[in-house]
Amino acid sequence: MAAVVFSNVRKEFGSFTAVHGLDLSIAEGEFVSLLGPSGCGKTTTLRMLAGLEFPTSGEIEIGNRVVNDVAPGKRDIAMVFQSYALYPHMSVAQNIAYPLRKRGTPLAERQKSVAATAELLQLTELLNRKPRQLSGGQQQRVALGRALVRDPKVFLLDEPLSNLDAKLRGYMRVELVELHRRLGRTMVYVTHDQLEAMTMSDRIAVMEGGELQQFAPPTEVYEEPANRFVASFIGTPGMTLIDGDLSRDGDHWLFQADGISMAVATLKDNASPGPACLGVRPEHVLIGEGPVNGVIQVVEKTGHENIVVLELSSGQRLTGRVPAPQSWRPGETVQLSFDADHTHVFGPGPRGIRLNRDGVSAGKASAPPLDIANANTPTPRKAQS
Amino acid sequence: MPSQTRTLLERRYAALGVMLIAPTVVVFCSVIVYPLLSAIYLSFFSIFTPTLEGDFVGLGNYTELLQTEVFWSSLGTTLIWTVGTLTLQILFGVGMALVLHQNIWFRSLARSLILFPYFISTVVAVLVWKWLFNDLYGIMNHFLISIGFIDFPMDYLGTMPNALISVILVGAWKYFPFVVIAVLARLQTIPDALYEAAKIDGAGPIARFFDVTLPQLRDVLVVIILLRAIWDFKEFDLIFLLTGGGPLRDTQTLPLLVYQEAFALNDMGKASAYAVVMMAIMLVFMLIYIRRTRTEDGS
Repeated sequence: MAAVVFSNVRKEFGSFTAVHGLDLSIAEGEFVSLLGPSGCGKTTTLRMLAGLEFPTSGEIEIGNRVVNDVAPGKRDIAMVFQSYALYPHMSVAQNIAYPLRKRGTPLAERQKSVAATAELLQLTELLNRKPRQLSGGQQQRVALGRALVRDPKVFLLDEPLSNLDAKLRGYMRVELVELHRRLGRTMVYVTHDQLEAMTMSDRIAVMEGGELQQFAPPTEVYEEPANRFVASFIGTPGMTLIDGDLSRDGDHWLFQADGISMAVATLKDNASPGPACLGVRPEHVLIGEGPVNGVIQVVEKTGHENIVVLELSSGQRLTGRVPAPQSWRPGETVQLSFDADHTHVFGPGPRGIRLNRDGVSAGKASAPPLDIANANTPTPRKAQS
Repeated sequence: MPSQTRTLLERRYAALGVMLIAPTVVVFCSVIVYPLLSAIYLSFFSIFTPTLEGDFVGLGNYTELLQTEVFWSSLGTTLIWTVGTLTLQILFGVGMALVLHQNIWFRSLARSLILFPYFISTVVAVLVWKWLFNDLYGIMNHFLISIGFIDFPMDYLGTMPNALISVILVGAWKYFPFVVIAVLARLQTIPDALYEAAKIDGAGPIARFFDVTLPQLRDVLVVIILLRAIWDFKEFDLIFLLTGGGPLRDTQTLPLLVYQEAFALNDMGKASAYAVVMMAIMLVFMLIYIRRTRTEDGS
């Protein structure tokens, strides 16, 4: 049973279209993140689900009920705002009790629920304080409490961690995942932070320009990005994307760019020769030996690994990731190759779709070995460069 | 002594500080402290205004005024005027601010027009209102008769309680824009997320007003009420020009009484005593105001 379904939902603000015909089906009890850069329509989508914005067209269902014409308070949802939106003149207890009060829950029951929620979120000591007397993390927990106390069908969270410092954010991530596990409720989480989306979600809906780019579990989004946008947006440091040309020789596909020429793994049947883009994650740039020469520009030390920024003779920059003890210095010329099992090929354009066969470049067992065996074979052209 | 341990630079800064505040202190003393002390001093004398000469009577003026019926009736009128006009100012002001806070197409025009009564000179405003209120050719009577509300022209300023009601209404009209500005400024700072959270929590429009808007307005309303209470309590020109305190003494407030004692009855001593008593009453509001603003700064 689907908890939340968007069917061809469109939202226009005047002449600007914030969401273009969104179709999204979120399962009962699922933790789904809406991820994307600012202005991608993720917050508008969440606000439409909350009933704070009205879709221009399309239908939104919560628990098999179309809610387009249902007031926010009657949708059986709860929302945690980025700014927490606690009522400043009310105590913590009154804040948490407010949704119950508006629902007409009897006082005794209300007090019981508030006490239980406070206990769960370790707020018992703070019940009589006002929001301004609390730290950011505590306010965050009160906002969560106000959502939890209603026991809603769906929790909506709008960048709830972005106002916290890094350490607290990490802590709250774990707390939220645990809370989700314990409650088993559907949660829709809006964030621009891919780390939050990757670590917490069952599935991630990557959005850009008001359109859904990919809706898949975190590993799939990372290993098999649906298109070039997803590939470039997910992953830190980002995937290196090299524009070039794809040519075909029977069953073999060859990718060529200035200074690079390599055989690539099996592509989808609808792949055609022509302009294309090669994507390589930093961990799949193999530095030390290979047919390509690169000059090290920057070495970023993060402790357990180094991020190496290289420049090829064509001026193309790429990022590699190598285990920590390394003595490379900027200016040094190194040889490198790409792990062909894990390269990605995308069609032309900023949202060029992924051409690899499903499961192939992710290095899964289903990958047909034929092309991969030759993938790193240097070509004459490469040798020249 | 601490001054001995001060460095030269510190002393120079201190001297500069004194120099910078000196003009303000001089002006403050000459236009506020001196008249205040002088009024208190005069209130102990029985003084003929034109010559400013008279005898020391001690607290005589005070004991006399507390026994005068006109003092108590004027105080009563002042309180009715203050409470009445202030209540209307707050109700109209908050209501209008809420309307102007909405996204209506003529909002910016309305926001500037609404300030008109507040900026217009009291004399002009009163002349216009007197003309509107005129029992022979005023538009108010014409209008009320034409819609059938009354059969005969009403006397708005010459009878009671009409005169007091008219004064209160004109006062409310003149000063409610102040409330609008202050409340509107505050309304614009209430985060939208609070209303959205309340919507999701199931609060309807009325609940949102009482649970979100009003609590947020509380602080600014307290300040507005205190300030306007002080200003309305000492209001002189509007009432003096509109009714002159009449009919008889029915709209005579304390400031009008002070004026009358000082310049009509030429008893400056007694007038000063009235003024000092007025100040004592307003001091209560002022102290509350000062305390209020201080605790706000502190928190």
